[in-house]
Amino acid sequence: MSNRYIGKSIKRVEDKRFITGKGKYTDDMVLPQQTYAHIVRSPYAHALVKKIDISAALAIEGVVAVFTGDDIRNAGINGVPCGWQVNFKDGTTMKEPSHPLLVGTGDTIKHLGDAVAVVIAEDRNIAADAADAVEVDYEVKNAISNPFEAVQAGATPVHPEVAPNNIAFDWTLGNPRDEVDAAIAASHHVTTLDFINQRVIPNAIEPRVAIGHYDTTSEKYTLYTSTQNPHLIRLMMSAFVLGIPEHKVRVVGPDVGGGFGSKIFHYTEEALVVWASKQIERPVKWTSERSEAFMTDAHGRDHVTKAEMGFDKDGNVMALRVKTYANLGAYLSLFAPAVPTYLHGTLLQGLYTTPKINIDLVGVFTHTNAVDAYRGAGRPEATYLLERLMDLGALEMGMDPADLRFRNFIPPFDGVTQPGYQTQVALQYDSGNYEGVLKRGLEMLDYKGFREDQKEALKNGKLLGVGFSTYVEACGIAPSAVVGSLGARAGLYESAQVRVQPTGKVSVYTGSHSHGQGHETTFVQIVADKFGIPMEDVELIHGDSDTVAFGMGTYGSRSLAVGGSAIMKSIDKILEKGAKIAAHKLEANIDDLEFNEGKWTVKGTDKSISFGDVSLTAYVPHVYPEGLEPGLDFSSFYDPANFTYPFGCHIAVVEIDPETGKVKLKRFLAVDDVGNVINPMIVDGQIHGGLAQGIGQALFEGAIYDDNGQLINGSYMDYCMPRADDLPMFEIDRTVTPCPHNPLGVKGAGEAGCIGSTPAVVNAVIDALWSGGHQVKDILMPLTPERVWRAMQ
Amino acid sequence: MQLTGSHTLEAPTAQVWKMLMDTEILAKIVPGISRLEKIGENEYNAVSEIKLGPVSGSFSGGLTLSEIIDNQEFTLNVSQNSKIGNADAAIKIILKDLGNQTELSFDGDARLSGLLARTGQRVLSGVANSLTKQFFSNFDEELQN
Repeated sequence: MSNRYIGKSIKRVEDKRFITGKGKYTDDMVLPQQTYAHIVRSPYAHALVKKIDISAALAIEGVVAVFTGDDIRNAGINGVPCGWQVNFKDGTTMKEPSHPLLVGTGDTIKHLGDAVAVVIAEDRNIAADAADAVEVDYEVKNAISNPFEAVQAGATPVHPEVAPNNIAFDWTLGNPRDEVDAAIAASHHVTTLDFINQRVIPNAIEPRVAIGHYDTTSEKYTLYTSTQNPHLIRLMMSAFVLGIPEHKVRVVGPDVGGGFGSKIFHYTEEALVVWASKQIERPVKWTSERSEAFMTDAHGRDHVTKAEMGFDKDGNVMALRVKTYANLGAYLSLFAPAVPTYLHGTLLQGLYTTPKINIDLVGVFTHTNAVDAYRGAGRPEATYLLERLMDLGALEMGMDPADLRFRNFIPPFDGVTQPGYQTQVALQYDSGNYEGVLKRGLEMLDYKGFREDQKEALKNGKLLGVGFSTYVEACGIAPSAVVGSLGARAGLYESAQVRVQPTGKVSVYTGSHSHGQGHETTFVQIVADKFGIPMEDVELIHGDSDTVAFGMGTYGSRSLAVGGSAIMKSIDKILEKGAKIAAHKLEANIDDLEFNEGKWTVKGTDKSISFGDVSLTAYVPHVYPEGLEPGLDFSSFYDPANFTYPFGCHIAVVEIDPETGKVKLKRFLAVDDVGNVINPMIVDGQIHGGLAQGIGQALFEGAIYDDNGQLINGSYMDYCMPRADDLPMFEIDRTVTPCPHNPLGVKGAGEAGCIGSTPAVVNAVIDALWSGGHQVKDILMPLTPERVWRAMQ
Repeated sequence: MQLTGSHTLEAPTAQVWKMLMDTEILAKIVPGISRLEKIGENEYNAVSEIKLGPVSGSFSGGLTLSEIIDNQEFTLNVSQNSKIGNADAAIKIILKDLGNQTELSFDGDARLSGLLARTGQRVLSGVANSLTKQFFSNFDEELQN
């Protein structure tokens, strides 16, 4: 043990290589004999492929091979699978269309960017030119992109054989619908919102890249890929798509430039380059263009919802009734069915004691790109729904939105001396102090002062508004038995190996994956402090399925809570064995030893042995406890007992220019409780990034498909990303309510910023409008000046 | 995308109609058209070069005329393909007899796909307007020749 690192804002050790341009991303790798792939994609959202003519492409000098959907079909290759099954309410199985790597002649294009062929050439430019020379004859058909329209009678089916009504599954959760109907009917006031949580595009700065390499000597396949999840990709690709024995496949996810969820999933291109490499016996690299990233990286959100919240005359929430149409896109991406259901419906208790809750949800196919997890995944949608209803309910009832929340909060519980909180929607919260974060937020805001400023601003012709959002999320994904019972086709534990080398240096292997989260710093802080050694003596290794034990990767704010806990288990095993060796060397009773500052000392004496000496003894076991195995190297798997439940309070202050409708975000305050914190600076950074993305959805971002299924804003000229000068300096703080069920007491911080922030901004705009006498219930996100201005007219 | 416009030409309707039905003249006055050949009754092959803000490309495809009422109206069906995307349009063209003048108006809808739809859309209506202006000024010029 030492106290040097945990809880300290240690600068990120990985940043040196990133800032100096020495990061090694997949596209930086050049393998001997490497070829380059370019994918021929459909310019239509729905079309029959009548003919594919590759002769002109093959004739171009430098083209190595061209494969079409016909080749894939003839090779008997399966499509990429879905990893989560959500059945219909009546128990029938989810509709699961196949998602082929390439669409062949006589088959149907299901969304813009669906692939028909891959051209492989000696360099990138030849491949791109030759892809242009592939002639595809399409018969264009009507497309559908809105999930609500897709389930109406007569809508064009995306998969006529599998799901003629475009419904993948319907699903419900919570109290019986009739009880909720009755509670709504008996309510004193019902706040109703019909709204769209619009589709957003993740936009990792590093586009997806994959290199397939079939080694003719070892007959082994290697896939280098920009992924959050190397082992799961290996499992999916080997067992379900290509049918290659798993031990013959190595998947490496090296430095990755952001994922935000979009790089969790097994994509068609990954299997395609691996398969193609076997065919041509050379490595094949595919690098997504930005335009392809817009079209084919899994998108997020896209719900059409009607939500009703019933209150009694004092403002107590009596019931919540929700109907949602969730757009899944054309194919079921890896975790797509879980996002609107078990990551969304289960969060509808929020922070409130609402006694009756029911959600009825339909998962819908459309001729659009797949929708799957995007930072927060389901939980931002749940938070948006609840928090919009709370602020709007307060406005409608003439109550104060903060008071309304205090009235309805679940009282504090620590999960140790008090039990966890059982919700109406399946989950049991671990620990929380919800009043605490709102109290702190109001203090930072100077709420009283703000309301005076607001009146003053109105006199001067300006509209000021404040918006609140108090959220809880389910992170530390996830207890395997629980998710298994909910349809997951995988466990969600994590692996860790801590290998103490003979000289006392330590290599730590984690099955989680860092793509911006700073694991190489945070995890090393923990190991260094637990062993009482310098951080320089510890190295974190991740992302290579050949060196790391099977793990589940990084998403759902799980790495520290689950992966860190697995590391803790190995640390404990090492310290236990180390103590035996130390006791033997010191000729003392093990119970008389204490471990501190990297040394085992016999209590009350100056007899001690260092961590390094014990390590050396473990590998040079000349003087050694009888019956003890040599070595100091332990693997562990940690399967959490529960999800973790971070929570917080986000507050936005906006000013609207009544002439133009332009919204200026003046202040943004966030008080988050992510349990114990290992590195405050990294947590702050995670919160900042999440806030930018959440605010981005509120004010700037939104994918637009036209009625032909064309993505009409698929470029950085047209898709508005939040920029630094759009954002105020964030004012952030924390409270600490430790997680009661994992050894570090941590809850996870990766998604919090993105989950709480969006409704705070929209609520602030609505509050500003009401202050000026415009009683607007909703404005479609993003809140562009035009939409806000129109709402005021 | 909606395509509309109208312009008064200094010529009687019969003359305007004749010019519109003449492949050679049409190829001259339609902006961007580099080749127009008749392949059948009211059916043409067309090749055009068009620059739309950040995207430019060479289009080829077919033009057909339908619902023809001589000297009054017809529908121009355009289907153009290119590496930057495809455009399909049905444009109704109406001639209104004003004695020595003719009012030529059109009204139609274009469907775009591919890169054209993704990155060209927001500049397209501006481009369409300038192409329309160019078409009418070319027509005026041709009438004076």
